[in-house]
Amino acid sequence: METGLNNQCTPQFRLLDEAQILRIYQTALRILDEVGVRVNLTKAVDILAGHGARVRDKNVVEIPSFLVEAAVQSAPSNVTLYNRKKEPVMELGGRRIYFGTGTDLPKTVDLVTREIRDTKADDIVASTVISDAAPNIDFIASYGLPRDIPPGLHYIRCFQLEVENSVKPIFFTAGSLQDLKVILDMASAVAGSSRELARYPFLIQYSEPTSPLTHSEEAVSKLICCAENRVPINYTPALLAGSTGPVTLAGALSVAVAEALSGIVIHQLAAQGAPIITGVVATGMDMLKATISYTAPEFRLTHSAYADLFHYLGLPIWGTAGCSDAQFPDLQAGAEYGFTLLNAALDGCNLIHDCGYIGQGFVASPEMILFADEVIAMVKRYMRGFEIDDEHLAMDVIRKVGPGGHFLSEKHTRDHFMKEHWRPTLFNRENLPNWIKKGKKTVDQKLIEKALEILKNHKPEPLPQGIKESLGRIWKEATQKTRR
Amino acid sequence: MERGNPEDKEMTVDIIKEIYDAVLEGNVDEASSRVQQALNSKVEVKEILNRGLIAAMDLVGEKFGEGELFIPQVLWSAKAMQGGMDLLKPHFSPTDRAEKGTVVIGTAKGDIHDIGKNLVAIMLEGSGFKVADLGVDVTPERFVEKAVEVKADVIAMSALLTTTMQSMGEVVSVIKAKKLPFKVIIGGAPVDQAFCQEIGADAYGMDAADGLRKVKGLLGR
Repeated sequence: METGLNNQCTPQFRLLDEAQILRIYQTALRILDEVGVRVNLTKAVDILAGHGARVRDKNVVEIPSFLVEAAVQSAPSNVTLYNRKKEPVMELGGRRIYFGTGTDLPKTVDLVTREIRDTKADDIVASTVISDAAPNIDFIASYGLPRDIPPGLHYIRCFQLEVENSVKPIFFTAGSLQDLKVILDMASAVAGSSRELARYPFLIQYSEPTSPLTHSEEAVSKLICCAENRVPINYTPALLAGSTGPVTLAGALSVAVAEALSGIVIHQLAAQGAPIITGVVATGMDMLKATISYTAPEFRLTHSAYADLFHYLGLPIWGTAGCSDAQFPDLQAGAEYGFTLLNAALDGCNLIHDCGYIGQGFVASPEMILFADEVIAMVKRYMRGFEIDDEHLAMDVIRKVGPGGHFLSEKHTRDHFMKEHWRPTLFNRENLPNWIKKGKKTVDQKLIEKALEILKNHKPEPLPQGIKESLGRIWKEATQKTRR
Repeated sequence: MERGNPEDKEMTVDIIKEIYDAVLEGNVDEASSRVQQALNSKVEVKEILNRGLIAAMDLVGEKFGEGELFIPQVLWSAKAMQGGMDLLKPHFSPTDRAEKGTVVIGTAKGDIHDIGKNLVAIMLEGSGFKVADLGVDVTPERFVEKAVEVKADVIAMSALLTTTMQSMGEVVSVIKAKKLPFKVIIGGAPVDQAFCQEIGADAYGMDAADGLRKVKGLLGR
C-alpha cells in the first residue's frame, strides 16, 4: 500500500499566515472597543448596551471583544440554502464556492441594439432566465434596477420577477424595512409559511453598513428583521480606501472587518444562531477619477485577506468576482473576469456575487452572465486539481504504448478523457480553417447569440399558479400602499 | 436460408440494429459477438456490413464533425467496426468489394508529427477504407512506390512544419510526370486550400473529419 500520499492535488492559496490573521483581527477588535460604531437605531443600541457594550454620544457603541467573540461563536459556520422547491443546493461554509449575479444595475447594454440604456423590468426577467439556464450560476440577483418601476416598489417587483422565473436561490436587496417585509411575505407565500421559509430559506437578503463604522437605521433594521425571521442575511460593508477608510490596505481591511463583525454582534444578540454570511469590500477610490474599482489588484488583496480571516473564524463568506470596470464588454472585461473569478475561487469564498457586472457596478450586459459562466467552469476545473494514483499515473498504458506509439485508441484514454479534461462551450478551440468556415465568430458574438437563444427557448420551471396569484395580490397591495 | 419469412426478417432487423448500436457506442466485444451471431443466423454479409457496421460508422463520423462525439469515442467505434470486419472477411465472395477504396497515408518527409495522420488513418479504416500506413518521415518515392504496390486510390499526406510541407508537392509532381491514377489529399496545421492548389493536390482536409469527407468525395463514395 501507498502511505503518506494524498492522491488528489488541488490549488492552494493563502495570503495571510496565522499571526497576520490575528494581527488584523485584534486591530478590528480594538477599533470596536476603543473607537466604537455609530448605530442609528435605538432598538439596536439598547440590545448592545443590555449585553455590556458602552454607549457614548447617544448612539456610538463601544463593543468589548468578549461580545464579538461570543457572536463569532454563536453564528453558524455553515448556512444551507435551498432552491424554491426546498431542495438543498448551496452549503455556504468551508471552502465551497458558489457563484451568482449581483443586484441593482441602473444601465443595460441592449442585447440587440448594443446601446447603453436605462434598465427595465423586462431586463430583470431576461437576466433571471439567462441565469436560470446557466449551469454555473448557482444563485440569482436582480442584476438590474428597473427605471420603469416606481422607486420604492422596484425591489419588490424585482424579487417577484426573479422568483417567478427561476427556482435558484435569490440574493436580494431591499430599499427599506417595509420593502423587506413585503418581500418576506412573498417568500413565505412561496414556501408555504414564514416558518417553512426559515426552515428552507431560498433567499439571502443583502444589506450593508456604511463606512466608516456606521450602521444606518435602514441597514440595521433589516439586519435585525432577518435575524428575528431566521432568514439568511449577507451584511457586508463596502469601504473605499483613502475616502471612507484608511488609504493603507491593512487599515482599510481592519476597519471593514470591524464593521462586518459589529454587524454579526447585533445580529446574533437579536437572535442567537440565526444565519449570516459575512465579508467585506475594501477597495480603492480612484484618486484621479473619483470612481470605485471593482477589480483593482488592491481589492483582490484585501479580498484574499478577509477570506483568510473569516475562514479562520469559521464563518460563511461572501465574495465579489466576475465583474469589470470596463463600460462595455471588451478585452478589459475579459481580463478582469478571469483574474477576479480565479482569485475568488482560490480564496474559497462561498457566496461569490457580481458575476456579469460591468461598468463599476452601474452597467448590465446580460450576455456577460454567460461569459462569467464559462470562466467559472474553467476555474472550477482548475480548482479540482488532479489525482495522483496508479490509475492516473498510467504506468500500464505507458508501457503498453511504448516509445513512438499513440494513446488515442487506448481504453485508458477513453475512460478518462471526459472527466480529466475540460472543454469550453463558448471559447474557441476551432482551428483556423474551421473557424473561418463557421463565420469567424468571436466570443462576443457567440455570447449574444447564446443569450438570445436562451431567451427564446429556455422555459424556467413555472411557479404554481396559486402561488403566482398570491404574489400578484401582495404586489397589488404594495402598489396601493405606495400610492397612498 | 429462405428469405421472406417475417419472423426471420424481424430478427435480421433486430440484430443489425444491435450491431449498429454496438459500433455507435464503441462496444468492441458486443459488436463482434453480434456480428458472429448474425453470421451464425445466416444474415447476409452485405447487410451486416452496409446497414450495420458502415452505417453506424458513417453516423459516428457525422457526429464527430458536429462536435457531438469526441476523438476517443470515434476510435473505439472504429475498433468495434474493425472487429466486426475481421469476422466478415472470410465470408466475402470473390466478387464482393470489401473496401470503399485504398489509401496510402503518411507524414511528409522530415516530419515526425503523426497524431493527426493517425487520426485520419483510423477514421478511414473505421469508414471501411483499406489503409496502408507508411508512418512518419516518408519520402515522395516511398509514397508512390507503395501506392503502385497496393493499387491505391488515394495518397494522403500530412505535415506540421512549414519546412516539411514542401515535399508534398514533389509527390504530386511525380504522379503527374508518370501519369499515375492516384488522387492526392493533404492536411496538417500549416497547410491550407491555397497551398493545396499551389502544389496541384486534389483536396485539402482541414481536420480529420473533413479529411474523411474529402476522401469520400474524391472517390465519389
